[in-house]
Amino acid sequence: MLSYHFNWSIIWTEPYGRWMLQGIWVTIKLGIICWFIALILGIIIGTFRVAPFRPLRMFGAIYTEVFRDIPPLVQLLFWYFAVPSILPKSIGMWFYRLSNADFWIVVLALSIYTSSRIAEHIRAGIKSISQDLFHAALSTGFTHFQTYRYIIIPYAVRIMMPPLTAECLTTFKNTSLAMTVGVLETTFMSRQIEAYTFHGIEATTAASVVYMGITLTVVILLGLIEKRLAVPGLITRSEGGR
Amino acid sequence: MIKIKNISKWYGDFMVLNNINETIERGQVVVICGPSGSGKSTMLKCLNGLEKFQQGDIIVDGTSLKDPATDLIKLRQKMGMVFQRFELYPHLKVIDNITIAPVKVKKIPIRDAIQRGIELLERVGIPEQADKYPGNLSGGQQQRVAIARALAMDPEIMLFDEPTSALDPEMIKEVLEVMTDLARSGMTMIVVTHEMGFAREVANEIIFMDEGRIIERGTDKTFFTSPKTERAKDFLNKILL
Amino acid sequence: MGSFDWRVIQNNLPFLMQGLLTTFQLALVGISGGFLLGILVGMARLSSIKVIYYPATAFVNVTRSLPLILVIFWFYFLVPVLLGRSIGDFSSACVAFVAFEAAYFAEIVRAGIQSVSTGQMQAAYSTGFDYRLTMRYIIVPQALRNMQPSLLTQSVIAFQDTSLAYVIGLNEFLHSASIVDAREMRSVELYTLVGVVYFLICFEMSMLAKRLEAKKGHGQ
Repeated sequence: MLSYHFNWSIIWTEPYGRWMLQGIWVTIKLGIICWFIALILGIIIGTFRVAPFRPLRMFGAIYTEVFRDIPPLVQLLFWYFAVPSILPKSIGMWFYRLSNADFWIVVLALSIYTSSRIAEHIRAGIKSISQDLFHAALSTGFTHFQTYRYIIIPYAVRIMMPPLTAECLTTFKNTSLAMTVGVLETTFMSRQIEAYTFHGIEATTAASVVYMGITLTVVILLGLIEKRLAVPGLITRSEGGR
Repeated sequence: MIKIKNISKWYGDFMVLNNINETIERGQVVVICGPSGSGKSTMLKCLNGLEKFQQGDIIVDGTSLKDPATDLIKLRQKMGMVFQRFELYPHLKVIDNITIAPVKVKKIPIRDAIQRGIELLERVGIPEQADKYPGNLSGGQQQRVAIARALAMDPEIMLFDEPTSALDPEMIKEVLEVMTDLARSGMTMIVVTHEMGFAREVANEIIFMDEGRIIERGTDKTFFTSPKTERAKDFLNKILL
Repeated sequence: MGSFDWRVIQNNLPFLMQGLLTTFQLALVGISGGFLLGILVGMARLSSIKVIYYPATAFVNVTRSLPLILVIFWFYFLVPVLLGRSIGDFSSACVAFVAFEAAYFAEIVRAGIQSVSTGQMQAAYSTGFDYRLTMRYIIVPQALRNMQPSLLTQSVIAFQDTSLAYVIGLNEFLHSASIVDAREMRSVELYTLVGVVYFLICFEMSMLAKRLEAKKGHGQ
């Protein structure tokens, strides 16, 4: 490293330190909101895909395939640039006057994208449950709806904890896409600091540490939930071999 | 030919094998039986170095397994093993399953290996399956291929780890016939199994293991008719019906 | 807002197609380079030699916890500092992609190898195979077969990831479309085009992956 001298203190100097903290806060907010919306949407769509009602299944399938096969950044820019120009003028104007328009567009785009992926995990999880369990519930007098609600979905959720944990991590990482539309989250802030101080390595390292910290936190938290929900005797992690 | 001296193996507090002693002569057929978890399979896998032991030694034809200088790979060429789940290589045809080790390890020319392979398949009764994949064979056929595969390396000792436990009842007979035939031809065999009919017919010695120890030994005549220990009696009652 | 006007795509087709070509090139480099590096790292993750295992594990865990945008920035700003000169958008993006995707391919490789049952290894050993022969003729062929669906899925993801080169101004497909948009203000047509093209490609690839998965399920 020839002509670069490090200055790690810029990370906590005013105003850069404050910028980073603001960015971290936005990242966390984005991640949590998107994750919860995506989870609910994803469970609904995923259930649609295995419902005994063909139109629902088709809707679920189309939704999942469309939003999974288009890159999240493309989807975000579509919502941000393309959609406003086809909305009626009045709604468009109202939306742009919202101070947080950018933030909520990202929430919309990212939630829909993530929900399609979650829907796929849900579908795979439900499919992996044997039909016999389903029949057993029906034979005790449950309706289809009740069977899903009390038996299938709770069991499926437990099986799906590992892929869902991975999806949660992906969501937090995808919040970095928000920087492309000017949302002041962690990655954006690290670029900002770099632009002002030319200390890109320190800024990017700080951002990296933030994301690693978020990842670690999510893995630990969801790991705890996984343990509490775990079905005894069910091997959920396939580590292969014996 | 095989001397097992004071073998012990443990995981933490749990003793898998507890002071096992045994001598097996050339040409003998030894059957090891006992309840699940008694350490029978582990004992068998120690003989060809697939499992390690912490205490004691096993001497196979003068070669000590404890000696770090021992070439385990060379030793394993002298011993063939047949597994409970057959473990045929699913991506290779039957004939390739049999010939791959002779060709790659012993450097036998492929044509000779194939010829020998067909001979072995004839010996186990299924030469017509040579070009099929294991997935297309029944369990009994797969296990017979597995025996042929083990024999392809011309071993002096054959080890069998519950060879019929994973088979449907109607296929057990065909595998036992091959094993009986092998025993009668003079092969040294150590067989972990519950098949007492087989034991009665060809075993020279029967070893009963429980909780990592050898509880009782006998010949086919003495063990079944008058078991000495309570545990052996109990076990025989349960499985012989 | 007027009606759709597809002429904007017609008029700018060469430019857009150039962008799509760049996307394909970036994807090709990222997927193949990432896979090759991923094999090395994946096998390193299975090693019992500490100096090999720990760096590989650290690399995989750190890289997988970072957003791709950040990794792209890392290489975009770090490499010139290390080398003393800049290496251009495309090359930076390539390096970033190969490193990033390698971490994911490594995990697929590792899982693939571990998915071959230990019984297979014992069977091979019992016939006198050593480690090298066992891996080469017994374990790796089966592992590769088991890995196929995951490899394909990861490739689809990698292909989508190329759109992130947008942030360093590389003229891949998405960025090219945004440039045309800035000039012509026809966002709907352009971003719909980008979406549709990506959809068609990724949909095909994921259908292929599903078919592979089904074939695997029917036994060999």
